[in-house]
Amino acid sequence: MEERKIIKYDALVIGAGIAGGEAAINLANTGYKVLLVEKDHSLGGKMILLSKVFPTLDCAACITTPKVSEIARHKNITVFTESEVTHIAKKSDNDFVAQISKKPRYVRVEGCTACQLCEKACPVSVRDEYQFGLIGRKAAFIPFSIANPKAAVIDIENCTLCGACEKACPTHCIDFTMETEYYELHAKTVILATGFNLFDPLEIPRFGYGQYKNVITSMQMEREIAPTRPYNTILRPGDGKVPDRIAYVLCTGSRDNTVGNPICSQICCMYSMKQAQLLMGALPMADITIYYINIRSFGKGFEEFYQQAKGMGVNFVKGKIGKITEKENGNLILRYEDIAEGVVKEAEHDMVVLSVGVKSNPSAGKIFDGNSLKLDPLQFIAQKDLLGSPAKTSIDGVFVAGTASGPMDIPDSILSAGSASSEAISYLTRYQSV
Amino acid sequence: MEIEIGKTAKYLRDKQGVPDSAKEQLKEFNRIKKAIVDALKEQEMTIPQLADKLQMSKPDVTYHLLTLVKYGVVAVGEIDDMDEYFSYKLVK
Repeated sequence: MEERKIIKYDALVIGAGIAGGEAAINLANTGYKVLLVEKDHSLGGKMILLSKVFPTLDCAACITTPKVSEIARHKNITVFTESEVTHIAKKSDNDFVAQISKKPRYVRVEGCTACQLCEKACPVSVRDEYQFGLIGRKAAFIPFSIANPKAAVIDIENCTLCGACEKACPTHCIDFTMETEYYELHAKTVILATGFNLFDPLEIPRFGYGQYKNVITSMQMEREIAPTRPYNTILRPGDGKVPDRIAYVLCTGSRDNTVGNPICSQICCMYSMKQAQLLMGALPMADITIYYINIRSFGKGFEEFYQQAKGMGVNFVKGKIGKITEKENGNLILRYEDIAEGVVKEAEHDMVVLSVGVKSNPSAGKIFDGNSLKLDPLQFIAQKDLLGSPAKTSIDGVFVAGTASGPMDIPDSILSAGSASSEAISYLTRYQSV
Repeated sequence: MEIEIGKTAKYLRDKQGVPDSAKEQLKEFNRIKKAIVDALKEQEMTIPQLADKLQMSKPDVTYHLLTLVKYGVVAVGEIDDMDEYFSYKLVK
């Protein structure tokens, strides 16, 4: 059996996206020692990969990077990246024991200067998951330019162990002798900020994703319009053409019982309008059409944002897409029901963006003793008192933050993280005073 | 046994070997990289022109060519008169 190092913190926060990060900062600023566990190579979750945010069109990285920098440098926060919490047992009130495994990065982060010489030397090329497969990356790589920690990592599954990276590294921080480390954590409270999964459009074969290369997801388009984009401009992945007729298919995998996801994603209307406006800036001659069932512009400034998109010339069609087919030249034919006119129509576009919905990440449900953490029917973490104390879960002392409890946008995730950290602080204070 | 700094890849290679899939992937990338570089030695080309010359699918050429742009092997040239396709050239 592997040797486990015993560690103690006041709070365990699982997930270092915007919600987990915010909750960790709130706890740490109050003086509590926090262990923040993240399975990925960087802090920042999905938000750090976005171009801009709606409805203000503020730069997402400009909001996220100071936050992740504060998390990484906070004296009361310890960050474990490449790590997973495999099991949590509640021994008594105020006493949680968590088993954590920390995978090797094969790079000593404290020695890495992010010079990228290892990346240059590495002969391997594989699809870059941080650019959603649009382009390649090396097996020795820095995940993305604003990653935190900004240090190289070795993709050991694709590495040929040629040693070129080691030879190139001026600080000798690459170390293939690193192994998985195991920890036993004792914490007084737990915050779950495990986020959400994007809907996989391969589940709707009639939309042709995966088969037709000019059908992409909204996250792929998000990368194409981000400052750290994969290409020099917006291009079709099918043939490198600059598109000039782009379609958005809203509610892909949302409000759709046939794929087991009957709920609204709460974000796909607005992020599609955001992308449409950014595309009109990047490609002034392009026609952008948004096919929708209903526009749900429910938040502060959302309706104005919708009107702004219309005013800029984005074409909104109330239509439900039946099927997408590809022409020989890579263009796409959208067959749709025009809901306003009640007739079936067809339209040709250069490129189609599937505005994918939000699905639960049910992983947290499996880690608690005896499945004591309750999930809702859609596998989001159940909120014990939705209206009174939305951060409370079925386990006293375990709180939920952000989209782990259901779809929501970034401001709501941050608010939810504030609620979770306040509840956690209240819980810690209650037991401190006993 | 003390493992020398800078030679730890050999340690892991001896310990667990290298997966065949990783070796195959490297071989395939090198083959495609060489084909693209050789083709661009002759002249600047667009992606459809390269796909035609190399008898490869356009999506595969797009992916590999733009990856080579990222790695600094290939540079983006001018866009055509129809504002549709960029040409690509080798970095000198």
